Amino acid sequence: MTRETRVVGKSLPRIDAAGKVTGTAVYAADFALPGMLWGKIVRSREPHARIARVDTERARRMPGVRAVLTAADVADVRYGGSLKDETVFPRDKVRYVGQPVAAVAAVTPEAAEAAAAAVEISYEPLTPVLDLAAALAPGAPLVHEHWRDYTAIPILHRDGNVCNRARVVTGDLERGWAEADRIFEHRFTTAMVHQGYTEPRAAVAAWDSSGQVTVWSNTQLPFEVQNTLAEILQMPPGRIRVIVPGIGGGFGGKLRVGVEPIAALLARKAGRPVKIMTTSEEELTAAYPRQATVIELKTGVRRDGRITAKEGRIWFDTGAFAGSGPGVASVATLMLAGPYRIPNLFLEGYAVYTNKTNCGSYRAPSGPQSNFAVESQMDIIADALGLDPLELRLRNIVREGDEGPTGQVLTAVGLEECLLRAARAIGWEDRRPGAWRGKGLACGWWTTTGGSSGVYVKINPDGTVALNTGAAEIGTAALTGAAQVLAEELGVDLDAIRVVSADTFATPFDFGAQGSRTAFAVGNACRAAVAELKRKIFAEAAAQLRVEPDGLELRDGQVVANGARMTLAEVARLSQLSGGGLIAHGTFIAPPTPYDAKRVQAHVYPAFHSPSFHAHAVDLSVDPETGEITIHRYVVAQDVGFAINPTAIEGQIEGGVAQALGQALSEEIVYAGGRVLNANLTDYKMPTTLDMPRVEAILVQRRSQVGPYGAKGVGEPPNIEPPAAVANAVAAAAGVRVTSLPITAEKVALAIRDRDGG
Amino acid sequence: MTKIALTLTVNGETYEVLTAPHRTLLDVLRTDLGLTGTKENCLEAECGVCTVLLDGAAVNACILLAAECPGRAITTIEGLGGPDGLHPLQQAFIEHGAVQCGYCIPGMILSATAFLDERPAPTEAEVREALAGNLCRCTGYQKIADAVLAAAGRLADRRP
Repeated sequence: MTRETRVVGKSLPRIDAAGKVTGTAVYAADFALPGMLWGKIVRSREPHARIARVDTERARRMPGVRAVLTAADVADVRYGGSLKDETVFPRDKVRYVGQPVAAVAAVTPEAAEAAAAAVEISYEPLTPVLDLAAALAPGAPLVHEHWRDYTAIPILHRDGNVCNRARVVTGDLERGWAEADRIFEHRFTTAMVHQGYTEPRAAVAAWDSSGQVTVWSNTQLPFEVQNTLAEILQMPPGRIRVIVPGIGGGFGGKLRVGVEPIAALLARKAGRPVKIMTTSEEELTAAYPRQATVIELKTGVRRDGRITAKEGRIWFDTGAFAGSGPGVASVATLMLAGPYRIPNLFLEGYAVYTNKTNCGSYRAPSGPQSNFAVESQMDIIADALGLDPLELRLRNIVREGDEGPTGQVLTAVGLEECLLRAARAIGWEDRRPGAWRGKGLACGWWTTTGGSSGVYVKINPDGTVALNTGAAEIGTAALTGAAQVLAEELGVDLDAIRVVSADTFATPFDFGAQGSRTAFAVGNACRAAVAELKRKIFAEAAAQLRVEPDGLELRDGQVVANGARMTLAEVARLSQLSGGGLIAHGTFIAPPTPYDAKRVQAHVYPAFHSPSFHAHAVDLSVDPETGEITIHRYVVAQDVGFAINPTAIEGQIEGGVAQALGQALSEEIVYAGGRVLNANLTDYKMPTTLDMPRVEAILVQRRSQVGPYGAKGVGEPPNIEPPAAVANAVAAAAGVRVTSLPITAEKVALAIRDRDGG
Repeated sequence: MTKIALTLTVNGETYEVLTAPHRTLLDVLRTDLGLTGTKENCLEAECGVCTVLLDGAAVNACILLAAECPGRAITTIEGLGGPDGLHPLQQAFIEHGAVQCGYCIPGMILSATAFLDERPAPTEAEVREALAGNLCRCTGYQKIADAVLAAAGRLADRRP
């Protein structure tokens, strides 16, 4: 790749910005239809109870009510990802406070709310399973008594309240312990946190006279929602159309079906369109947050710091249903290994049922929790061995050609450069620049999720280009990145590209806006489409220009040969006269990443595709009296492969760090007795402008073999390292080690007091 | 419930609205007037996505009754500029990459508008203080602060 680029690699404004700053961009929450009703979900008030009776008589008779829906109206099917354990409404028992039990549709939101409150549910309480310890105790009550009868992908290892146990085994642990001079054992915990998107989940459903249903929703995965709706509604997917008008943030929280099935079922029963939009209380009690975890690590090292063996277990409190749990528990094992060369590994990830809301995927699922434990322990080990934490990492990190934990061969490894540049930028040589002030480092790796993407690319007769993709733009500017790739390949300016996206009827399939894959996969599908388009364009132009097609190229909106040229617009016009216009279908699927299958068990995600590497460094102060943390500087060095749009990538890094600092310092969904105590945005504390430091982003570029122009996934990684970096800096500043997230001022102050014997 | 007739002045235009008295300005703007540029989220004045200007001051439309607004000048994002004539704040937000999902942006820009009217040459710390009531989950606020500072400079250049 030596050619100068015109569009990729440039910090161009995102293509959808004007609509967003003028208020004309339509989000799912804004979407409305004539005659639309408002749906409201009736939710369980018990964490674990038999449903004795659901009485809807009073609700049905209330003014303005047009439909009341219970389990009796819904086909008796279970759905889910790797494990089908969910139902729209429960028939036998409720499993968490906030679980949908019934729903109503009425002419106004107020009428719907009143009717929902009038649905009477009688419960016979059961012993709730309130946390991981209770779920894993011998003889614990089962959240799902009939778990054996559920349909699951065959590789899952399930047992009672454990809905998957993924495992990675490499080498010989006993040999590793024997070779170690020191062995360190630590336990860490992390809290349940919410993605915190500012647009609530919303869906509008409408049925037409032919019996087809259209759902406008802010899902990240329209094709998965289409297929899940097909299961729930017992209809062929082709008769279900899912359209994403616009999304006000997702971060993984809008992957799986939420309010869509209930809106569709209410609309069918009422014979009118129905809209459902969640409240903040519903978001914080009944959405798909990040799992709370418990992590135990045992690591053996030689005196020189080289790691000889690691044994690790992470338990995910996945809530009442598996959700993303089995997959997240799998990914976690690769994150527990960390970006280190460790010959002997025994790593397990458990997804565990409890009577809490169903947890899901949140930006780099399992990443922040695992990394917090791994990177905190690295600093503890460095201190114990009298080694600089940076030096300990440099002695153990993976480098070009090394093996990952499951045997994948790592290429384009920019980790050393990330560590060195982050350390230099933060001024690592002066780790404790003042009283109660210190610096911390953390590093990690992450995947660029696979899955296939298709695009249609059409050249209009005015020379503009329509990019038709099944992927949704969730805010990351990933589709601007894909459009930059398309513009570069076609030799046109970015403003020539218009995007149509995320409509299961009209757009080609896409695996969805998840796993840092959209710009990567859609960008590559665009390149494939341009390869096809070039054949058509060059054939048409060669005939017109009377030249050989081989010598033609695309440049500045023109087809150019030696001395001859014609515009792309003209070729498109001619093609419309003779050949049905210029259009191509481009597709992409990430090639499989080879790994050693003997090393994994019950593992849904055994290797990282086109992995990225990153290092974070933070400089902060601790108030010795209050424990309050003030962040002075924050540096991220991230190996992005190739920066398609540097400003957009900086935006991902700054925003990812902000979210993760919330998880590090202040955010926690607090449960007591199976009930959320802080289900509002006053008590669930997300960072504001005043809480955020400036983030200095360093873009390291070791080009991947597969990504467009060498790009790697960039969206999720910035969310991984902040909790660990902060914990390590707090230890440097205050001399206390906090092993549970969030690292609140209270925990820091108490740790200081404990240490000082106060 | 007896409805009341309200005359609202939004973006310089007059609207006659017949509504139940308990409805918020946010609800009336979005549902009755179709002005969905003003966003809806927490409905308890914590997140700021519903920020509009009331006689030039930034307020949360989710906790303001529409019945309190007759005789007041209401400005929503639709009144600030359009594709043919962006406000300097809108332009700066685009150029600085301050927009991601965009759901918080109308409220953010209106808070910034009210703030810059009062404080034309602010420091970054003052910008951050002024926008502390507007949550953004995508950007980490840095490019937003940069955009507001850049727009302040441009607005100052425009003043006589």
